[in-house]
Amino acid sequence: MATMPDSFFSWVVFLLNEYGGVLIQGAGVTLLLALVGTFIGCVIGLAVGIVQTIPEDPNAGCFKNSLIRGVKAVLSSYVEIFRGTPMIVQAMVVYYGAMSLFDIDMSAMFAGFLVVSINTGAYMAETVRGGIESIDAGQREAAVAIGMDHFQTMRFVVLPQALRNIMPQIGNNLIINIKDTSVLNVISVTELYFASKSAAGVYYRYFEIFFITCIIYFIMTFTASRILRWLESKMDGPKDYQLVEYDPMADPCGHFQVTNKKGR
Amino acid sequence: MAEKELLLSVQDLKKQFGEREILKGISFNVNKGDVVCIIGPSGSGKSTLIRCVNFLEQPTDGVIAYCGKNVLETFKNLPLYRTKVGMVFQQFNLFNNMTVLENCMVGQVKVLGKDKETARNTAMKYLEHVGMASYINAKPHQLSGGQKQRVAIARALALEPEVLLMDEPTSALDPEMVGEVLAVMKELADEGLTMVIVTHEMAFARDVSSRVIFIDQGVVAEESSPEEIFSAPKNQRTKDFLSRFNLGK
Ligand SMILES: Nc1ncnc2c1ncn2[C@@H]1O[C@H](COP(=O)(O)OP(=O)(O)O)[C@@H](O)[C@H]1O
Ligand SMILES: [Mg+2]
Repeated sequence: MATMPDSFFSWVVFLLNEYGGVLIQGAGVTLLLALVGTFIGCVIGLAVGIVQTIPEDPNAGCFKNSLIRGVKAVLSSYVEIFRGTPMIVQAMVVYYGAMSLFDIDMSAMFAGFLVVSINTGAYMAETVRGGIESIDAGQREAAVAIGMDHFQTMRFVVLPQALRNIMPQIGNNLIINIKDTSVLNVISVTELYFASKSAAGVYYRYFEIFFITCIIYFIMTFTASRILRWLESKMDGPKDYQLVEYDPMADPCGHFQVTNKKGR
Repeated sequence: MAEKELLLSVQDLKKQFGEREILKGISFNVNKGDVVCIIGPSGSGKSTLIRCVNFLEQPTDGVIAYCGKNVLETFKNLPLYRTKVGMVFQQFNLFNNMTVLENCMVGQVKVLGKDKETARNTAMKYLEHVGMASYINAKPHQLSGGQKQRVAIARALALEPEVLLMDEPTSALDPEMVGEVLAVMKELADEGLTMVIVTHEMAFARDVSSRVIFIDQGVVAEESSPEEIFSAPKNQRTKDFLSRFNLGK
């Protein structure tokens, strides 16, 4: 065996050589969990948020309205429960609960995806609801007035604007998920934190390993944040527009005075 | 004049918000080719009335009939009715996520099911009509108020409605932009488009409309030809209201 390193940096270099691969693999798992979890969470959040903003239709039957109300109640308890408990506890409950209650031995990784997605979904549902409600009522009315139904109004007018407005929160959720998937180490998901802890235990070099881990986390979150910024600016489209011709009616010469009567 | 064709008929329309009755039984008819101007003090229920006509507000009581048929019974889905009865808002309400052209196409494609080529041609026709054809690539926030309202008119016209409802189309505009929008409205009136217009532009109501309805405290206080209502109003409240406007005949 080679001589052991004797300074902080030589330890870092040594551990990087020895465990770099393991850490990168852990980082890969972390990223995968965060990306998939955020994506599925957004889909869940979108669906829940849309249902929660369905207005009551006075022309619809009593049955339809109470059905909608029932579904809304179930969805809002989902949101409250998953926002109101720590993800680390949810991971334990889901993983071990599935095993003892339903005899399902899901893989730790699957439980991880499940917990991150459902947890993100609960947060996103509120974000989406807020995003939808922040869109001026006039937008919705104009869509309804040209004959769109609720679904079309959402799909073509409200959601595109709401989604643009909540992009920063989606990014925020992704960054939170990159960091918070570390709690999944309690059910032995081999993400970055779990990998680091294992690696650190071998030589008892906790500081050096977690120094490296820290940098890896930061690179991931920083890159994610930059990419999202870029995406946002892409969504905004061009800052100016091409005039196809001159506007003949924009005449700044004051009030219109009708002088001759219509000839009808 | 030939036999008039009844297009819209509002019968004993009532609307309550909570305990407050805003519309207390309003009736009037709109014939094909009519330009009906609705005037009245602010808070009298004009917006509520015009919003009830295309069911943006749910009437508490009364009947809205289109071509002689009760809308709520005939049109199982209101969307179809709404494509026949266009609406122009005080605040324009252009779709912020779409360009001018897309604003005028989306209803044709998604609601009427037209193909994009046809929809584009129709949209261009009406955008040219309101003098906005050169701005097809602009987003609403890049336009002035008057331009936005002209696009909003083109968006409504692109569905080729039978009636156009307008709720104070020039009230949110800077004074120097009012003229361009009124000019478009006058042109549409001259072409024979049926319109119901809530307005405070008394010169426009006097010179362009075929009938004027004065609404006060949720009832029709007076309804007559523009000549009569502006030169010899019968109702005292109409007199008081009109005296506030300097019509400078
Ligand atoms: N959604 C609503 N809820 C409660 N009251 C309303 C609502 N919309 C309008 N009103 C009330 O109805 C009255 C008439 O309003 P509106 O129709 O906007 O008048 P106008 O357009 O003639 O100025 C006002 O007193 C207003 O406060
Ligand atoms: Mg009003």
